[in-house]
Amino acid sequence: MMTNALSLAQTVADTAGAYGHFPGIGARGAVWIAAEVHLMFAAFVLGVPMFAVITELIGIVGKDSKYDRLSKEFTRLLVFAYSATALWGAVLVFFLTTLYPRFWGHMAQIFGLSMWIYVGLFFVESFTLYMYYYGWERWKAGRAKWMHWGLGVLLNVWGTAVMFIANGWLTYMMSPPEGVTAETLPAEVGLWNALANATWMPINIHRLIANAVFGGSIVAAYAAYRFLAARTDEERAHYDWMGYVGNFIAISTFIVLPFAGYWLGREIYEYNQQMGITMMGGFMSWLWIVQAVLIGILFLAANYYLWIGMARIPGAERFMPYTKWMLLILVIGWIVWSTPHTMIASREEMAAMGGSHHPFLSVLGVMSAKNTAVNIMILTTFLSFLLYRRANKEPTVDWAKTGTLVEGIMLALAAGVVVFYGVLGYFVEASVRIGFSVYQVLAVLACILFVTVTDLSLLRGAKSRGAIRWGQMPARSQYALFVLAVTFTWLMGLMGFARSGIRQHWHVWGVIRDTSEFAATPALGYAANMISVCVLVFLTLVAFIFWLGGLAERVVTKPATAGGS
Amino acid sequence: MWLTNLKIGILGLAVIAFYTAVAHVIPQLESEVPQDLALGSDVTVDELIAAGEGVFTGAGICTTCHGLGTRAPNLRTDHAGLGTIGARCVAAFGSDCRTYLYTSLTNPGDSIVPGFENIMPNMGQQLPQDQVWAVIAYLQSLGGEVTVTAADLSQESADLAAAPAAAAPVAARTETMDPRELLTEKTCTVCHVIDGAGPPIGPPFDGIGSRLTAEKIRQSILDPNGEVTEGYEQFAGTMPATFGQQLSAAQLEAIVQFLAARK
Repeated sequence: MMTNALSLAQTVADTAGAYGHFPGIGARGAVWIAAEVHLMFAAFVLGVPMFAVITELIGIVGKDSKYDRLSKEFTRLLVFAYSATALWGAVLVFFLTTLYPRFWGHMAQIFGLSMWIYVGLFFVESFTLYMYYYGWERWKAGRAKWMHWGLGVLLNVWGTAVMFIANGWLTYMMSPPEGVTAETLPAEVGLWNALANATWMPINIHRLIANAVFGGSIVAAYAAYRFLAARTDEERAHYDWMGYVGNFIAISTFIVLPFAGYWLGREIYEYNQQMGITMMGGFMSWLWIVQAVLIGILFLAANYYLWIGMARIPGAERFMPYTKWMLLILVIGWIVWSTPHTMIASREEMAAMGGSHHPFLSVLGVMSAKNTAVNIMILTTFLSFLLYRRANKEPTVDWAKTGTLVEGIMLALAAGVVVFYGVLGYFVEASVRIGFSVYQVLAVLACILFVTVTDLSLLRGAKSRGAIRWGQMPARSQYALFVLAVTFTWLMGLMGFARSGIRQHWHVWGVIRDTSEFAATPALGYAANMISVCVLVFLTLVAFIFWLGGLAERVVTKPATAGGS
Repeated sequence: MWLTNLKIGILGLAVIAFYTAVAHVIPQLESEVPQDLALGSDVTVDELIAAGEGVFTGAGICTTCHGLGTRAPNLRTDHAGLGTIGARCVAAFGSDCRTYLYTSLTNPGDSIVPGFENIMPNMGQQLPQDQVWAVIAYLQSLGGEVTVTAADLSQESADLAAAPAAAAPVAARTETMDPRELLTEKTCTVCHVIDGAGPPIGPPFDGIGSRLTAEKIRQSILDPNGEVTEGYEQFAGTMPATFGQQLSAAQLEAIVQFLAARK
């Protein structure tokens, strides 16, 4: 009763001066666009340095200059994207200050110190980036090159620290520490306590991986654009290779992203059951069907790109007959994953169905089927990578046949474990069934790790069946990379809505209630419109950056050597 | 190159449009903000039930779990062959049904139905007190007798303990639960044909179960002018819209089930 009274009192008090007005799309729409576009650029500028330093390191250790060039080209995109990130960050802060002054005041009182540190780190990060990019040619050999690489590492350190701080603010809104209530004064909330809240670290890890995924996909799209615009075979070969690397980074990191997602979801449930249920089974439950549609397209586009790419690899023809079966598995998996669990039905419809579950949906729309489908899709995509990698290689180790057999057994075992627990899930209590997803995930992860290690050893010193004909890719393969980039971007917007929307009518869950005219969390249709606007704004600006990238430098390229993948 | 740029642009727009369309064709569910019901001391049972149903299906997000039969027991439909919540609550707790429902909402951990997990939040913290009581009234109306009154709306659990469940039986207007007696007593048979007898001013009760579902019958009694049966337009507005006040929830349910069975 006391809580209700305070809530009501707060509502009355909040009606004056708590919110500003934004013409046309309203305050929520303005903040939504500014925050999402800022986040997309931020993800890009945090993701790209991760693999820029890795490819630079490969270039240093392997003494292969093409990796160094690739790394520099990645970084050139960063320089332009960085200013866009800062610009949208400023827009977001101004919008928050003018449109949500009371809420922002609350946040500033708690996180003031961390905001100053954030700004300081932003400066340091900017200067590190400029030194990293503009010092590339100056520090290109010997110890200086290692120092230069160290700058890249530092760039990642600053960027990660900046992201962790910002994540502390947004996760505080989702999961404020226990004991912080509507009556708590901001001055009474400890900064570290507020930052290190229940969902902080899961979000940190999830975003760290997602940034690499996102950065990889945008870089691949950039390479695809440059491939299509290339005037020489050399340029085409370079950007074909760059597109492959970007896609490889995006998909290989994407495969582990669901595991970070599981952790985040579990922490949300542990923090507040209602929030978890709202997210997975409440008004947001249909969001996961949309997510499944998107991820299904990601899997299909990524595999399609690999299968087309095999046409330019001598020896790949022996694997091509398998692709139609892999396509079939992916499509079936996609259908199962996209099957809704329940339908919105009237009582009459429920009576006609014999319950709230349609008999068909109740078999395919449950988590046992969905988890099985997604894990099999992951294994299939992993198999595509394996075949692609092995296409032009002839193992020379004397245990080659045994090794291949063991790899096959591992894949079959992992698939068997996934299917076994998927089927068993239909016959046990929900509480037991939830634990099965862990076994399925562990089986797939163990398989990926074991087979990758085995394959690396198995193909060491392998004979080549011929060099990869980089650049000899049909244009449609590059459009698959665009589909991937657009889909990843849209998916990021969708997941942003999910994370933010589960707070429902709270700015800070259970602490500051949203009393504005936009307090109700919108339905997915409206959210999709907003996400699409954000994606269009972001991609339009990215297209401009790509164009600038083409203006800034015409890369001197040469065909990559065979096995350069 | 302009053609390539155009193709890329069209492809990007098509992909975005496709995802937007997918998000539009699925059910559009909005998370509502809990509203103050402003239920006064003169609130009727019907108003309480209607308000409770609104909270149950809206801001209370109860249907997220109750109704799927997997996370929590069904409340609005049969569960384990025991009927809807109002019926099985009375069967299990008798006059303490009201107390049981209040406890289930405000201290759900103490009332876990076997076979389900302790996942329900304390609705006393999620909803204002009057909305909690409105939900209880609604749940009681699902096959039971509504015993919640306006006096309960500001009442908390401590007060509840001091005022046992039997207090304020709303349905004390008439004693009988026999649907035939009720149809006569409430003058329904003055206009509706039953067993081939009576003036055909309203649609006949004979065979009504094959024409309308129980839900539609209930709706027609509570809101007779909401949807006028074809062929009876000239009598629209004749039937009083006050049966929600005249009948207890249990009586209403008895009539509904009786009529629904007349196929």
